[in-house]
Amino acid sequence: MLQTRIRQFITSVREGISAGFISGILVIFLILLGIPINLRDIALFVILLVPVIFGVRLARRLHGRGLFHLLRNALVLGLVAALLAYLLMALINRWQEHGVNVTNYFPSVTTDTMTLLSGVPASELFPNPPRDPLTGQYPEGKPLRANPMRLTFDEKTGLEVLGVNVVIGGFYGFLLALIVTGVAGALLGWVFLAARAGQRWKAARAYLSTSPAAHNGVLLLPLAFFALLWLTVGHGLYNASKATYSVLDPVINLGGSAQEVQLLIGFGIILWGLVAVRAAQPNDKGLSYPARLGVCLALIALLIAVGLWRVMGSNIYFVATSRALRGSETLSVLILLAVGLLLVVQNARALRTPGRFEAQFASTQALLVVLLMPLFLNQGQNDVMTIVGINIMLGLGLNIVVGYAGLLDLGYVAFFALGAYAYAFLSSNQIKTGPDGQPAGLKFAGNDEMVIKLAGWIPITVIVTLLVVLVGVRWWQRRNADHRPWTYRPPLIRFPSHPSNGFATLLTVIAIALSVIVASALEGTALYERLFHSASPFVIGIIVGIIAGMLSGIMLGIPVLRLRGDYLAIVTLGFGEIIRLLFTNLRDYTGGPQGVLEIPRPLPAGATGPVGYLWMVYLVLLGVGIIAFFSTRLKQSRIGRAWSAMKSDEDIAQSMGINLVQTKLTAFAIGAAFAGLGGVLFAARQRNIYPNDFRLDVSIEVLSLVIIGGMGSIPGVIMGAIALIGVPEVLRELATYRILVFGALLVAMVILRPEGLLPAPTAQLRERARALVQSRYQAGGGD
Amino acid sequence: MKEHTDHQPILQAIGVTKRFGGLVAVGDLDLTIMPNQIASVIGPNGAGKTTFFNCVSGFYTPEEGEIRFLGHPIQGLRPDQVTARGIARTYQNIHLFKGMTVLENVLVGVHANLRSTPLGALLRLPINNQEEETALARAYELLEFVGLADVADILATNLPYGSQRRLEIARALASNPRLLLLDEPTAGMNPQETEDTMHFIRRLRDERDLTVLLIEHDMSVVMNISDQVTVLDYGRKISEGTPEYVQNDPLVIEAYLGTAADKVDVDLLAS
Ligand SMILES: Nc1ncnc2c1ncn2[C@@H]1O[C@H](COP(=O)(O)OP(=O)(O)OP(=O)(O)O)[C@@H](O)[C@H]1O
Ligand SMILES: [Mg+2]
Repeated sequence: MLQTRIRQFITSVREGISAGFISGILVIFLILLGIPINLRDIALFVILLVPVIFGVRLARRLHGRGLFHLLRNALVLGLVAALLAYLLMALINRWQEHGVNVTNYFPSVTTDTMTLLSGVPASELFPNPPRDPLTGQYPEGKPLRANPMRLTFDEKTGLEVLGVNVVIGGFYGFLLALIVTGVAGALLGWVFLAARAGQRWKAARAYLSTSPAAHNGVLLLPLAFFALLWLTVGHGLYNASKATYSVLDPVINLGGSAQEVQLLIGFGIILWGLVAVRAAQPNDKGLSYPARLGVCLALIALLIAVGLWRVMGSNIYFVATSRALRGSETLSVLILLAVGLLLVVQNARALRTPGRFEAQFASTQALLVVLLMPLFLNQGQNDVMTIVGINIMLGLGLNIVVGYAGLLDLGYVAFFALGAYAYAFLSSNQIKTGPDGQPAGLKFAGNDEMVIKLAGWIPITVIVTLLVVLVGVRWWQRRNADHRPWTYRPPLIRFPSHPSNGFATLLTVIAIALSVIVASALEGTALYERLFHSASPFVIGIIVGIIAGMLSGIMLGIPVLRLRGDYLAIVTLGFGEIIRLLFTNLRDYTGGPQGVLEIPRPLPAGATGPVGYLWMVYLVLLGVGIIAFFSTRLKQSRIGRAWSAMKSDEDIAQSMGINLVQTKLTAFAIGAAFAGLGGVLFAARQRNIYPNDFRLDVSIEVLSLVIIGGMGSIPGVIMGAIALIGVPEVLRELATYRILVFGALLVAMVILRPEGLLPAPTAQLRERARALVQSRYQAGGGD
Repeated sequence: MKEHTDHQPILQAIGVTKRFGGLVAVGDLDLTIMPNQIASVIGPNGAGKTTFFNCVSGFYTPEEGEIRFLGHPIQGLRPDQVTARGIARTYQNIHLFKGMTVLENVLVGVHANLRSTPLGALLRLPINNQEEETALARAYELLEFVGLADVADILATNLPYGSQRRLEIARALASNPRLLLLDEPTAGMNPQETEDTMHFIRRLRDERDLTVLLIEHDMSVVMNISDQVTVLDYGRKISEGTPEYVQNDPLVIEAYLGTAADKVDVDLLAS
């Protein structure tokens, strides 16, 4: 009788038991792995969130079975979770009693954790005091450590949940809190369901996407965010009559948290810029061409004016010359005006096409707002933006390899490292001294000569190669003018015929040999020194970094051509580590683990002031822009479709006529070239680089940001970089737990949103194709 | 180079043998197909039909024998090289590109006819733009031809089954082939769809100047549209000729009756 009742009861709360078990395990994990202790509130919050989430889930699963049933289950959920936590603590206590120091095994279970959970002050908690070496006894016969399991009711040890002291404290208090929050979560879920909040939320979202007002709001959000940033910054004012500058108070004074909040607003500007561009629809809002143009011109004028005010009013310059080391006002102003002018011309042309208005407005706005943002951020904030930008470059490069071509590359950091070291070698001012105090080993600063040599060699090679190829191809085409292979079918477009592979190889060899000869012949003359004496190591570094990345990409690509999936991942992972180990161990050439120091900025030596960090940010922005532009063009081309097909099915793609070798190597080479560019900018930003900057973690981070943002999607990669790199930089306290969060996010994304935060939309080509076919049909006279 | 003429076979297999370990999947197969024909290969399950297709399209290299296309040997070439020479195919199990739209799938098929390089794509020179537009127009025309133009922008894998098969054919046609290999084009279709496909294959041959080689299990289709039928059993050719001739060949009847009688409609064979 009793037995059946018990069994019935257990069946009725089965859901609660299993949910409680899982949440209990999660709580234990959080305790053992170490919760973000330095944020006391957040730590408890994270732990207590677990039963809340499971409570809400229970409410959803048991929907319609009655409130009482739900509450009973929720109570069981809390009890089971608390029981598991209690068992863990009991175990820890036992160990402590036996003299085992738990912190040796779980370094994360610090006294802080236990203090946090139990309220027992750290001084009374483990580890035990040393035993008396003679008697083997603890001083005064017993350990000083207090059992952290107790229940208290006072303010001192009371739990603080989100800043509110609940007075109940001690470890039992914590267990109680687990139970209460579990039930509270269930109640919350029940209320939510009862109020049909889900449907209302859906309706709200539907409204957002259909209502014109909401749509316009989304289009204007980047501007709104920019205005917000503008209001939080103190602006300079030039008083013409007294010829003095003064700084006004910001309209919104953020006080101590300005640093973080402004950065977050900055991220918001970027994100909403992307969203607005994406939300734009083929819609002219019924405006005529002059009206459309007028609106866009007003936008450009407004934003450029804001930028000019910032530059002239607050002396924030972003270009420096060797004459104006603090930055040149004239040049900054001219560049701003030039950008404005370019945009005006572009808009005037693009707006002629009907239906382009929204897209044009949104993209012009996003571009300008992002371009102006750095002017309103300080050095630290711009530094974060630079890091995010470099990671976006890496992400976009990896996106080509993984997102477009589907080749899982875990050694991506190698190309990044090669780019960084290429610039470091060519530019570093460090002089390595031997034991005798004399310069020894590789004298980086002595590479000036190499820079001059490369500066001459690169254009010579380009010119010679162009000449050789032009002449050679002409000759080949003339000779083979009437040649038709047996497979001849009329081509789609009559391209100039391609030289055969053998002939192309021959041309390459001739070009290389000739350029070496020409270069070495010229080197003897004084011309060389005179022409390239003041070559900038940065520009040479960029070229060499990109080439180094590209070549190593091809070199990695060749051996792994036949590998797929997991095998490819493992081999590339090994490649990444090999490159890092090479940089670590070839001490005489690379500086070993001490790295390369004193890498100059891409600025005139001695430049100071905002220009130092602004120039860097703008270089990175430019790099991101170029890479994003290239990525889009490649994606929408023949090679992009080949990548996409290859990603889906290699064999079938090959039988569609796709040359797998070429297609794969192109992906590797282009992705690696982007990483090389990123590496050069990274070295220029860091000023000192070490092999440890290029650990496997970097590859994993970049891969995570591509996956979380959305594979194959450029806005997705940008968003991923902000979420995974930018936000942890702002919330420094959380940075330690970054990897943990990455992991959790990755798992969550794979389950909830496998296509990423901002997935790439499918190509909509039909209208264009139909128009093309129609126009051809008409042009052909309807035959 | 000599131009091919109508008397020259478009595809010629001479003593083609393909083994998997001890299993002879295709054994000493001779086959000749003349231009502008519809030729069928039939045979019980596991007879080696798909394996032969794979040999022609470059997935497998036969251990012995020669495959000639327009008089030139093609065995040992990579699949992309075979496609570039003018042979296209579809698959027994549909293999469309996931994550790409219907139109993009066909555009991939045009790949072999395009010349643009990545550099050209970056610069978007006029000639590249022109090529891209031509490719797009060709792909769209093909979709119109197979009746899928209205769904050009949806993901290929979201199409119903019959449309997926037609899309595969459009994708194969996009490379502008001389010879089209169809591996069971009507598998899984209802009678009406089968009928449509049959007309469609005829139209291909008549309007597009194509030679079609197809594998088919549906005897009504085979007997209806084929100019020439080849019967395989255990990798060997047991009969060849016009549909009427093959139908009445005792060897063929025995091969079908003696093996998988469940899949092939024996009544149809006899009729
Ligand atoms: N890659 C392979 N490795 C080993 N054996 C194979 C392979 N491919 C095919 N075979 C074998 O070769 C034989 C011929 O197979 P094939 O697929 O060519 O038959 P088929 O005539 O197309 O049959 P179906 O009508 O079922 O499509 C079968 O016995 C099959 O198991
Ligand atoms: Mg088969």
